[in-house]
Amino acid sequence: MRAFAAPYPKDVWGPRRARIIAVGLALVFVVIVGRSAYVAFNGPDRSAVPVAAVEAVRRADIVDRRGELLATTVEGVSLAVDPSAIWDSRDVVAGIRTVFPDLREDALTAVMADKKRQFAWVKRGLEEEQIKALKELGVEGLMFVREPQRRYPGGSLAGHFLGYTSIDGDGLEGIERVYDDRLKQGGEPLELTLDASVQFVVEEELTRAFADFDMKGAVGIVLEANSGAVRAIASWPEMDPRRRGDEGDEAKTNRALNARMELGSIYKPLTVAAALEAGMLRTSDTFDVSKPVKIGAVTVRDQHPLTRVSGKAATAEDILAESSNIGTALIAQRMGVAQQKAFLGKVGLLAGHGGEGPQWASPLIPQRWDETAMATVAYGHGISVSPLAFAMTYTPFANGGEYVSPSFIEPVDAASVKRTRVMSARTADAVLSMMRTTVLQGSGKLANANGYEVAGKTGTAEKPTPDGYDPDRNITSFAAVFPASRPQFVVLVVLDEAQPRTGEQRTAAFTAASIAGKVIARAAPLLDVQPVLGATATRGIAPVTRTSAEAQ
Amino acid sequence: MKRLAIIGGLVVAVLAVAVYRAKLSAEETQVRIDELKIEAHAEEAAIATLRADEAVLTRPERIGGIAQQQLGLEPANPSQYVAPEALKQRLGEEKLRLPQRADGPAEGAQPQQQ
Repeated sequence: MRAFAAPYPKDVWGPRRARIIAVGLALVFVVIVGRSAYVAFNGPDRSAVPVAAVEAVRRADIVDRRGELLATTVEGVSLAVDPSAIWDSRDVVAGIRTVFPDLREDALTAVMADKKRQFAWVKRGLEEEQIKALKELGVEGLMFVREPQRRYPGGSLAGHFLGYTSIDGDGLEGIERVYDDRLKQGGEPLELTLDASVQFVVEEELTRAFADFDMKGAVGIVLEANSGAVRAIASWPEMDPRRRGDEGDEAKTNRALNARMELGSIYKPLTVAAALEAGMLRTSDTFDVSKPVKIGAVTVRDQHPLTRVSGKAATAEDILAESSNIGTALIAQRMGVAQQKAFLGKVGLLAGHGGEGPQWASPLIPQRWDETAMATVAYGHGISVSPLAFAMTYTPFANGGEYVSPSFIEPVDAASVKRTRVMSARTADAVLSMMRTTVLQGSGKLANANGYEVAGKTGTAEKPTPDGYDPDRNITSFAAVFPASRPQFVVLVVLDEAQPRTGEQRTAAFTAASIAGKVIARAAPLLDVQPVLGATATRGIAPVTRTSAEAQ
Repeated sequence: MKRLAIIGGLVVAVLAVAVYRAKLSAEETQVRIDELKIEAHAEEAAIATLRADEAVLTRPERIGGIAQQQLGLEPANPSQYVAPEALKQRLGEEKLRLPQRADGPAEGAQPQQQ
């Protein structure tokens, strides 16, 4: 009975089991809710969407002053391989080499043999035909990777000046290197002062010059005198940026900026201007240039006697027109070393360029600037400068005596153009008039582009060697300002070891002057210079005439 | 109290659904933005390629060659430039050369000077 009377033993585990199950269910619920909340608030993983790739900054374009595209970045295709996915590497290597025979077989085989790698570049920057040919091979393991690639639509146009980037888009040379940070920021194109049409004309004339002259190299520069804006700057042989420096040494050198040359008699207008400015010379003063003169340790001679006037009474104009070394040295002797150095310093020929933008070679100047050096520097020997630095020295003749620094990037703000008065307007105009006479009646006749009133000076300099000057190799040059009645542009043409194929003399009168004339005739219309036919006036000066009495 | 809890729970549930929908909508918008960015990038790349192609096709040596061969054009010669004053004179001469109309002088014709 006791057994029946006693209550059932209390089931203490029942409620506990219920609680444990409830807690378990609650935990499951919390996990589900937590995960749902995580998904709700964080969203799906979007890492597969290549938005980051499209948001990468595109390297800015480079354009000329009229917006013509000179360098741009396009989406290109490169070839890579996955060595780990390649079974028969010999088949793949053979296939790739049918499209790229220049790729080395052993190098390709070594890449394919590394089975731990899943990615290796084979060729960057494929052409459409190459992509098609590779796809038609049908070999395994090839990957076509889309990536930004720098393109130069003009080919070698302004190649030296533009420079190039590495395959990864880092500026290595030229404008690409100098303005690398700016270009990498993307945004608006970098607008150069260059005029692609004028640049083309200069480059084409330099290339054509090679047909007429056997030459080693050449430079052509066109500057807007008032602003210093460089409208064309060419170095020949041309350099194709698409080859990224894979050129011969001759083509690699940017002669316009990086070469230092003894430019010869195109210094003579500077000597005359310095002497006029120093008050040591009047335009009516005459010199006896009929016989050699000894100044310091050097005996200065002329290649030929004067023909326009008697050599016993040559004015500065006669000396320039017929490029008399003797006369120029005598003018320098009047002026003295200090005045000469000071003037050349003012026109930027005695120091390098330390400012922003493209750099050019610092000059080589005489270590001992004595009377001997003074005499030779007067006619452009014994001092080596970059062609661009020299071209800038003619800007005062076009600007009424004001020297301006070169500008490479638009917009060229008139207020920011650095101007330095280096001579009076009277001196500038007087020398300009003499240079016009040089073109009309002297050694620069072949530069006389009809209608564009060219004023300029020839220069022929034997090349220096360790054993002295080489009479068989020279630098010929022509520096000019046009149009003389309203000067706007400076042009410099330099030919390195130009030897006329027709057997003419290899002096600047027959080489550089001719090329400069052709450049001006073609470039002037592109630069909106209106021709003037039948007038020979220079700014502020009466038309260049000479009476028979003066000529005696 | 129990009713209040139920209502509260419902409100929370509705709000949770609303938040979820908003979040979902934002995600869809974000996906759309990303798609548009990719499209814009593709268009920009295409434009860059076309501009590069245009620059290649309009290179001076190419245009110059075609203009010379197909049209016989040459670089401008200084003698082809005319000052405005000379242009007026030339215009007058051109008018003088206009053919005479049957009923009178040509329009704009100048009387001949003796």
